[in-house]
Amino acid sequence: MAVAEQASARGFAYTTLTAEELALREEVRAFIKAELPVGGYRPCLGMSADHDPEFTRKMAARGWVGMSIPTRYGGPAHTAVDRFIVVEEMLKAGAPVGAHWVADRQSAPTILRFGTEEQRERFLPAIARGELWFSIGMSEPDAGSDLAAVRTTATRTDGGWLLNGTKIWTSNAHQNHWFIVLCRSSPNEGDRHEGLSQLLVPLRGTEGLEINPIKFLDGSHHFNEVVMTDVFVPDEDVLGEIGRGWQQVNSELAYERAGPDRFLSVYSTFEQLLREQVAQGELSAKAFEAFGRITARYWALRNLSLSISRTIDQGGAPAVEAAIVKDLGTTFEQEMIGLLHDLWGEEPSLDAATLGNQLLAACVLTGPSFTLRGGTNEILRTVASKGLAAWYGVNR
Amino acid sequence: MTVVPDALLVETLTRLFTQTCGHEVIQQAETDGWAEVVWEPLAATGAPWVGVPESVGGSGGTLADAIAVQRLVGRFAVPLPVAETGLLGGWLAGAAGIALPDGPLTVVPQRPNDRLSIDGGVLNGVAHRVPWAARSSLILALVGDEIIAVEPGAAGVGMDVVRNLAGEPRETVRFDGTPIAHRAAAPAGVDAIALRQRGALCRSAQIAGALERIAELTVEYANQRTQFGQKIARFQAVAQHLVRIASETRLVGMALDGTVAAFGGGDATFEVASLKSLAGESGSDVTTRAHQVHGAIGMTQEFVLHQLSRRVWSWREEFGSTAWWRQGLGQLVADVGADGLWPLVSEGSASLLPA
Repeated sequence: MAVAEQASARGFAYTTLTAEELALREEVRAFIKAELPVGGYRPCLGMSADHDPEFTRKMAARGWVGMSIPTRYGGPAHTAVDRFIVVEEMLKAGAPVGAHWVADRQSAPTILRFGTEEQRERFLPAIARGELWFSIGMSEPDAGSDLAAVRTTATRTDGGWLLNGTKIWTSNAHQNHWFIVLCRSSPNEGDRHEGLSQLLVPLRGTEGLEINPIKFLDGSHHFNEVVMTDVFVPDEDVLGEIGRGWQQVNSELAYERAGPDRFLSVYSTFEQLLREQVAQGELSAKAFEAFGRITARYWALRNLSLSISRTIDQGGAPAVEAAIVKDLGTTFEQEMIGLLHDLWGEEPSLDAATLGNQLLAACVLTGPSFTLRGGTNEILRTVASKGLAAWYGVNR
Repeated sequence: MTVVPDALLVETLTRLFTQTCGHEVIQQAETDGWAEVVWEPLAATGAPWVGVPESVGGSGGTLADAIAVQRLVGRFAVPLPVAETGLLGGWLAGAAGIALPDGPLTVVPQRPNDRLSIDGGVLNGVAHRVPWAARSSLILALVGDEIIAVEPGAAGVGMDVVRNLAGEPRETVRFDGTPIAHRAAAPAGVDAIALRQRGALCRSAQIAGALERIAELTVEYANQRTQFGQKIARFQAVAQHLVRIASETRLVGMALDGTVAAFGGGDATFEVASLKSLAGESGSDVTTRAHQVHGAIGMTQEFVLHQLSRRVWSWREEFGSTAWWRQGLGQLVADVGADGLWPLVSEGSASLLPA
């Protein structure tokens, strides 16, 4: 029992913000109030935010892009909690953070961790200035949740590697500058997790690289297919160690798992619908119940997510906890759409007369992706379940 | 305010409950309505009165300590009025200047169909679902602006035996010209709302503790039970349940810690409402999944799961149901409106204070 008691105390230590962190939050709130006034701005849905170079540059000027980058690489050297604060305030407001999103969340930390000194100096200052934007180069037509199945190959050539293969669902490849390609650098012989590598590849003006749009179900364009035919990647653009791609990519995925982006996609819609419904007066008991249910979960989820950032700052690596937050958060925000839809009672339409209904329509259309992006929840739970026995001190 | 309890207290009570509050004892308590073999050593440690100031005869300690006691009560399915004696009854008694008796206390939880009135110095009316009323040294109640205490054996007291889903006593108590043993004006901050908030906090802590144990039991069982030639934990469909159980359990634990922290700041209106509605929602989800994973064995009296799950099903109803708290919270959300929503989510009740 004593062992179980200790085990169950693991992970998720409640934490609050320090005075300095609260001051940062006030600064972010003031910025948002000035830049994105309520009523004068159409909010985006969480992390699938508009690509707005101007906004990104303004954020960068405040030190809010590439937040984890140390000062010696031109970054603001913020903590994970600081980044949590900036990100939650931005996503809550539906800010257009799309241009720097991936670079800030995962590319910069990955380059910092695995990159050479030359790569750090080449990429990190430009990311922190808000001028260098990244896409993710992981998924392939035959490698979705099963990432180790990637077929893109890197074959040795004079002074570098030749890349051949196709990446898919590459968000904003047509607008960003670089992506980090996960590829097979030696044949699959036995352990599929061996022989994978990560290469830094420019998306613009690269010979042999073709970007084809994949229209989202509503006709919008964020996704792309990136086809690479004998794309030459010089040795200096190899990220980390050849053959260590699997370990590196898992570390990269951990960065993207548990942040506020995993539960705030529908927040701006909820806030707008609340604004409109309160203005109309006369709310039903059913409406109150839904508002209460949603708000309670937001509060608890936010505290879980915040505690993970704090743990990371204290040197922890809360992998199971991060998977749990992603699962809880994305499942919740998806369910919320149904709850709000039931309450609204009006058919959602992108052309509706009210902003709330337009946003709800956008949620209905994008909602199914919440539990897919970054790895499906089913796979995530299967991975997390392997850590549970240790959590509870049970022999597997 | 700290949310971390005294480690020695947790260790001592864990040992005490492990030794005294086993399956048979809990089962026997369903027949007897009491478990003296647990109460006697528990009372000797002073644990039921943790969180009640020493100045009024309690054991002192922080709110985090007192909540840790409730969490352990849930974890071990302790069939005794621990919350009622300290955080609820001891709190009311202390506020009224009533010396704490050695025995257990209970409180009238104020159900909507209760009718209590003081007429010419005596108590009349009916109170429902009063926990362990017959076994208590005193029954405490808020009547209007007053705190009163009556002895369960006093003249004009009648009781109907009612049990909750876990087989614990929740008597209907009738008062007919019952003499009032103590009465005092309730001080500021002691009212029906405060009592309900405290009750909800206690029941949520008990649910949190029970869910933690249910999660452990279920992960353990799924890693022992073999079907189709392998441990059932290896089936993806089962593994999905296990992760959801662990997740919802942690969510309630986090909400509990956040509420304890807010209580330290004075007002926890938002946090308690969120906590109790989450504890009810997650409690329902976790117990459903845990029973599903356990299969038929979980439906037997012999197996421990029901001693926890039936308490969760009872506690989620008390001091405000899930729906009741959600509606109250939703009303608060509508009151603060769209501009107050994010401050509420990110700062809690502190955002409700005038700037």
